[in-house]
Amino acid sequence: MNLRIAQSFASLGRRIPLLGVAFLCFVPLLHATVDDALSFAYEAALPYYKQGFSIRKDAWGGDLGVKEKKAVSSQLFRGNDYWFLMATDVKGASLSVHIYDDKGNLVDAESWQKGRFAGVRVSPKATGTFFAIVQILKSPEDRTPWALVYGYK
Amino acid sequence: MLHSEPPLGEGIFPRFPMKSIFHICAFVVCSALLTTTSLRADNPPQKISLSDFPAAAVDEVVVPVPSEIFAVLDKLGNPNWKGQLRDGKARTPEDRARTALLLGNVIAEGFVAVEAEDAERVKELGRQVLTLAEAINVRKSVIARSKSITDMADQRDWKGVRSEFDGALQDVRSAMQELNDQDLSQLVSLGGWLRGTEVLTSIVQGGFAKDGTELLHQPELVSYFDRCIGTMGKRLRKNPLIVSVRDVLRKIEPIVNEGGDKIIPAQVKTIHEFTHGVNQQIVEGTGGN
Repeated sequence: MNLRIAQSFASLGRRIPLLGVAFLCFVPLLHATVDDALSFAYEAALPYYKQGFSIRKDAWGGDLGVKEKKAVSSQLFRGNDYWFLMATDVKGASLSVHIYDDKGNLVDAESWQKGRFAGVRVSPKATGTFFAIVQILKSPEDRTPWALVYGYK
Repeated sequence: MLHSEPPLGEGIFPRFPMKSIFHICAFVVCSALLTTTSLRADNPPQKISLSDFPAAAVDEVVVPVPSEIFAVLDKLGNPNWKGQLRDGKARTPEDRARTALLLGNVIAEGFVAVEAEDAERVKELGRQVLTLAEAINVRKSVIARSKSITDMADQRDWKGVRSEFDGALQDVRSAMQELNDQDLSQLVSLGGWLRGTEVLTSIVQGGFAKDGTELLHQPELVSYFDRCIGTMGKRLRKNPLIVSVRDVLRKIEPIVNEGGDKIIPAQVKTIHEFTHGVNQQIVEGTGGN
């Protein structure tokens, strides 16, 4: 996973000069993508990786309008700790992620939201299906790409 | 004296007037509140109605990797992992569906070998992963993983080996998705899940009932696998081995739909027998092509 994250950053680093050129030439064509959002989500996950969380390569993603919500279902196991990290690459956007159990009860152990990043920790009291509710709180774009990754330990 | 000196504080602020301490405290509290507000700008409802989310607004479940379950099992105690290891080496099938299921099965077996701290078995399974991956054209994606598994097993770096088996599973699936082999990719996950469930139920029967049984409560996952098979091509859906696997999923689904504490020992035994049976078919080829 370390390698994967390193590769994400390396590829992001390689893309920065190219993105600059592309921006000058094709400004109207430049749109944020879910892949870029995913790079930011991995960036948000990095501190937790350093704390011993294994970060999954599998991720969710898509695009949402402002105030639009989406539920992401996940099988979680009691005994594990989980961090869900959400991000977008759209500057000026803010988003949120919270975890609910299969009866619709909020089960966040802690959560934070900072601009284009958001995170929530959950320590399930029971094994089963949980739902991460993701939402774009504000954005300068009509549709905002987002990505969600999670780690466990 | 009309204007007396303001009272001085005590404790950690002995030299400051009380009024200044009040102002400092007010500033600190306001700053903390502002910081908290910026870190948690939204105020999520304590309860939501999941029926407000139509199917289109719900993303499919991501299948847990084996180490998510093994991480919990680590905390439960020290089962007899050596007793869970499967003997022998499966021959590489010609049927791609069976190969994909077997690949997932072998990766899950790798986790059991890690728990049993059996370095030779781990290395053998690492080589099998490479052989099976080659049979379905994704060898390149796991060459480095296979080598790392061998190296780390020699060093008895069990955490590292586990991480490499996890990585192998995810790399194989990604490579298949790049080849537009979504169906085979799902079968790899399913094969891993079937072997993991067989081992889990065996361990639960062996005396880790209370907390172990709860791990079987995976309703959405079983239903997801069933839906996946339902959307596969007709030829794959009619593959006798896939038919058997789907049959097993449908038989165990009502059991895993129960809350973990409601699953009784007889049901654990039932799940074990079903998964053991279908895993034998995957390994030996009976019931498949």
